[in-house]
This record gives sequence, structure tokens and C-alpha cells, in this order.
Amino acid sequence: ATMPVPVPVGVLRLPRGPEGSSRGFSPTSPRFQALLGGDAAAQGVRAALRQRYLRGLAAAQGRPTRFCLRAGVQVDAVFGAADVEAVAIQVDALRTPLGVQAAALLRCTDVLAYSFFL
Amino acid sequence: MNDWQRKSPLDWETYVNKMVKVAAIEKHEYEGWVLTVDPVSASIVLATFLENEKVSVSVVLGHAVQEVKILKEGDDGMKQRLSGIFAPEESKAYSPEELEKRKNDLKTWLEANHIPVTEQGESGRTLCVAGVLTIDPPYGPEECSSSNEIILSRVQGLIQGYLEKQQ
Repeated sequence: ATMPVPVPVGVLRLPRGPEGSSRGFSPTSPRFQALLGGDAAAQGVRAALRQRYLRGLAAAQGRPTRFCLRAGVQVDAVFGAADVEAVAIQVDALRTPLGVQAAALLRCTDVLAYSFFL
Repeated sequence: MNDWQRKSPLDWETYVNKMVKVAAIEKHEYEGWVLTVDPVSASIVLATFLENEKVSVSVVLGHAVQEVKILKEGDDGMKQRLSGIFAPEESKAYSPEELEKRKNDLKTWLEANHIPVTEQGESGRTLCVAGVLTIDPPYGPEECSSSNEIILSRVQGLIQGYLEKQQ
């Protein structure tokens, strides 16, 4: 009996990241510089500030939030999630003049500020 | 990047627990107590206390910040109040002996499952799994820390299952 021919698995080639280096973050960014080491005191402060911020994001999750966008535009939505590099914010039930979008991404460059109640 | 985003974490830290006025682009202004400044985006997280015990939290994105003026310092009472806003819920308090037992039981179980674990930190209170994940008291899934998301999620699942079997 002959052995079954193994089916080749497709290789998924992902496109290069926005910074072109495909590492997903810029090697000159403060974040990467901090990862390389250096000032331990600054890194400790960095970590503490970041931890508080992440807890804040966790607290925002699921809460009705008002987003202040550019050109005086304000929209209400339910806070979903934020990404690691602060590129976009995912929201649910985004109220727009055209109706309610079940889910949407708001670009951080378009957002000036957002607020919610605890 | 603007001047605010270029500041160092030690600089940003000087604004925490202070009442500030943030001038943002397009003539927006925000006032409140600084809870934190995100080191990645330099976003400022402000808290305002309302009459009905509610707290309003505003996040001003770092790229939109033009100027931050300190209005006043928070006293110790305010610092306590601010640090409690996002604090995780208080878990059941364990005595030192209970914590030691929980730690040893978990360590034994991990070792029985061929997972390398060592003790670290002051008086060995932190467990270190495979050199990449740490577990602090009271040794539940929430107390696991790791920079590897996959290992973190796997170990959290294991510990969750282990604790459920203990009940």
C-alpha cells in the first residue's frame, strides 16, 4: 500500500507592518528604548503609570462613553477596547447621524478626548 | 510628537495626584485630578468628583495636549481616594499562614504537573513559573504576570481549574 501524499499546508504571508520593519513597533520608539533597559527608576515609573492606565481602560470597558472628535464632532458609544499602541479604540453601539453602528473603530488620531462615569 | 508627548515618565509622574487644567487643540479645556499619564500615548487620565458620589473620568489623548497647568496639589486623603478609583476589587483577606499554605499547595501541584516553578522575592512570596511568569499572593489567576500572552493565558487557565477542583 502506498503512503497518502501529505497535503501541503498553505503558508500565510502577512504584509509588512506600518513601520515597514514588520516588528509591529518602531525601534526608535520610547517603548522599545525602555525595553532595551537603561534607567531603572524611569522604567519603574513608566510601569506604574502604564499599569494605572490599563486599569483605567479595564474600568471603561462596557460603559457609555462620550468621544470628542476633531472639528467639534461628539459621538456617544459604549467603550469596547483599546489596542497596545494607541492606534484605535473599538466601540459598540456608536451613535452617528446615519444611525447606530453595532461595532466600530475610532482612530486615536481623530479622537481628542473621551469620558465616562464610574 | 508634541512637547507633552516628549516628556519623560519622571516628568509625567509630577502631575499625578494634582488638580490640573489641560489645554487641548481646537480650544478644548479639561480640568480634573490626574490619575495617570499613559507612557505609550502620553494620554492624561483625569477624574472629577460629582455630587452624587459618581466620578467622571476623562482621557485627553496625548497628541491633542497643548499645555498642562497645575492648579493644586492633592493631600494624602485625595491621593488615597484617587488610587482607589481603578483599584481591583478587594479579594478575601488571607492570613500569612493561609497565604504560605496556598503558595506551597500551588507550587506542589505545579511541580507534580512537571511545570518548573521557583520562589522569588522577599521571603519567597512570589512564585516564578518557567522563568517567564510570576504569581503573587493570593496566588489566583488574577495575580499572574507575564510578558508572554500565550503562557499567561495557559497558566491562568490551569490555576483556575486547580482552584475550582480545590473547592
